[in-house]
Amino acid sequence: MLALIDAFPETALPPEAEALRGEIKAFLAERLAGMSGRDRARTWTGFDRAFSRDLAERGWLGLTLPKEYGGGGRDAFARFVLVEELLAAGAPIAAHWIGDRQSGPLLLHYGTEAQRRKYLPAICRGEIVFCIGMSEPNAGSDLASVRTRAVRDGDGWRLNGSKIWTTYAHQSDAMIALVRTAGTPEDRHNGLSQFLIDLALPGITVRPIRLGTGESDFSEVHFDNVALPADALVGVEGNGWAQVNAELAFERSGPERMYSSLVLLDLWASTLDENADAADIELLGRLVARLGSLRAMSIAITGKLAAGESPLTEAALIKDLGTELEQAIPVGIVDAIGKRPDLACNANLMSTLAFLLQLNHVFSLRGGTREILRGMIARGLGLR
Amino acid sequence: MSDMDAMLTVPFRRLLADIAPPAAVRAAEGCRGVPPMWRDLVASGFLDALVPEDKGGAGLALHDVFALVAATGAVCLPVPFAETMTARALLAARGAALPEDAVVVLAPPSAIIPLAAAATHALVPKDDRIALVALGDVGPDPFGAGGGSVAADAPEVLAVPAGSIDLAVFAAGLTAAKMAGAMARLLEMSVRYANERVQFGRPLGKFQAIQQQLAVMAEQVVSAQVAARIGMAGAHFDPVRVAMAKTRTGEAAHQVVAIAHAVHGAIGVTEEYDLQLLTRRLKQWQLAFGSESYWAGRLGAVRRCAPVDTTADFIRLHLAEMVGAASGEAHARA
Repeated sequence: MLALIDAFPETALPPEAEALRGEIKAFLAERLAGMSGRDRARTWTGFDRAFSRDLAERGWLGLTLPKEYGGGGRDAFARFVLVEELLAAGAPIAAHWIGDRQSGPLLLHYGTEAQRRKYLPAICRGEIVFCIGMSEPNAGSDLASVRTRAVRDGDGWRLNGSKIWTTYAHQSDAMIALVRTAGTPEDRHNGLSQFLIDLALPGITVRPIRLGTGESDFSEVHFDNVALPADALVGVEGNGWAQVNAELAFERSGPERMYSSLVLLDLWASTLDENADAADIELLGRLVARLGSLRAMSIAITGKLAAGESPLTEAALIKDLGTELEQAIPVGIVDAIGKRPDLACNANLMSTLAFLLQLNHVFSLRGGTREILRGMIARGLGLR
Repeated sequence: MSDMDAMLTVPFRRLLADIAPPAAVRAAEGCRGVPPMWRDLVASGFLDALVPEDKGGAGLALHDVFALVAATGAVCLPVPFAETMTARALLAARGAALPEDAVVVLAPPSAIIPLAAAATHALVPKDDRIALVALGDVGPDPFGAGGGSVAADAPEVLAVPAGSIDLAVFAAGLTAAKMAGAMARLLEMSVRYANERVQFGRPLGKFQAIQQQLAVMAEQVVSAQVAARIGMAGAHFDPVRVAMAKTRTGEAAHQVVAIAHAVHGAIGVTEEYDLQLLTRRLKQWQLAFGSESYWAGRLGAVRRCAPVDTTADFIRLHLAEMVGAASGEAHARA
């Protein structure tokens, strides 16, 4: 029997985690009242520091970090419930998203005690915004070929190179970057290290990349002879590839990989009345069925993360299926609406739909492309 | 391995491997009558798995037997084991019992009733009752897999009040589980074949074009498997959960069958090779008891009227029973 088939065991959200839900729902209903569908549809790409600080005040940032560092001391299931509610409501969570999901857990695991004391409480208070420096102008999916390089310089390091497609670098305070500390791009996974970079340091230029939609979610970052202190190194020198891979299970398996179009789905569903076209009702049912299966899979992976496992192949599988669904929702709805040119479409629904239709192709690029993920799944099946 | 797997699933799979090898599946194709392995299944005691303990059964919940039903799909078991097991429990809960040697299919309205040719009886909805009828001729199965139909004038043997029982939900829930089992088996066969078959000097599995297809197949198999498990979650069949299961397995079956045959090439459709045993049945099961569009329509209609803010809430509330059962079990283990 192939192990992957049984890698998503039936897993329940424990009652302690479910107990959080009511309070979160009540807060979001009040705090987000009147927000447009289009703004809600941005979900984890909607940037709002004030909103993140409001969540922090309620103890909802760094939920899984230990209490001694200002965190909630809760497990991955509690965070699943929190994130599910934030995404379903379309809350603007980008300002704390990277720090909460990845940088915090990474620093907890690989950071020095001094790094933990310095950064984790700030993450939990919503005071510091993190970004992740992975892709480079000549290293996209082929991440191991990064060329940005840090060389030893006295006690510290000297950093040169560029990162690109870094989500919200222009709004961030700090970046955790994967850079080369030894060897050449031909050495692949060897000689890579992670650094925590204060983006206010001299020699750093950050330029937002303007998208066709007029928005700027990404930036380009240049490092020109940047002097990094010794304690900028995160974890072990040369261990960067392994550390990054440990992060990827967190990055790929969460509810954000299936709920990016949920606001649109619910907005559209609310316009279907008892005279709705049978084909529309069927479409709704097909999308619900896919989401039902994905949610159960995501909870199963949450259980593995909670148990300290790093289910990379499973995370790749769920991300590919989840982003496929996120893409299918606007594609199905635009056709459902467009087949009735004689009916007026409500403006809120239309602007939400138009926003997602201009963005949905990116869902299967960000965080690992479809082809890379499928290659990982194939390896998980024992094919290469 | 869980206790349930060790006590139930593993011995059952071993039994199936003994009594229903591909040769036995082939032998049953095109025959009208109960195949010989039925005696072994009766003797095994598994048929009373869902019957309450005070009525002489094992008193298991539906979700306990998902793996058994999936296993019958994986071997293309040519007798209606899951259906008879379900019928025994359904009647026992209403104070009735099947005739001792009855081999039963569930027969709500359906384009085809799989395994009718191997059955002696069928449960059919009749107004506000569920009736057990004796089967005579069941007609041909264009899929050649022992399916058929139930004559409108089949003689009634006994009946119980239907109450809220919707036989289509039962039949579709079981069928989705069999589909999941069969698709998992197709994935195993396809991966093995891709690693063995050499073309252009390399195993097929080394080619990215094949790898990407098998990755898609794995995604669909896993998603269908999880959905089918949802369809049999909790203590009883639930229309929303079964609708998710049959919709998802029906959708997945198209892609899974297509990729399995693409990877195997022409050998896959030959009589001597087992692949076609599975894929012919998957097509029949996709058609039986409502296709994905039928169940998606039912699911969508419930979601449209549901008094919830979001689809995430809708899913969570409909899986609540399953979650409750599973967490109770986890609690008991802890």
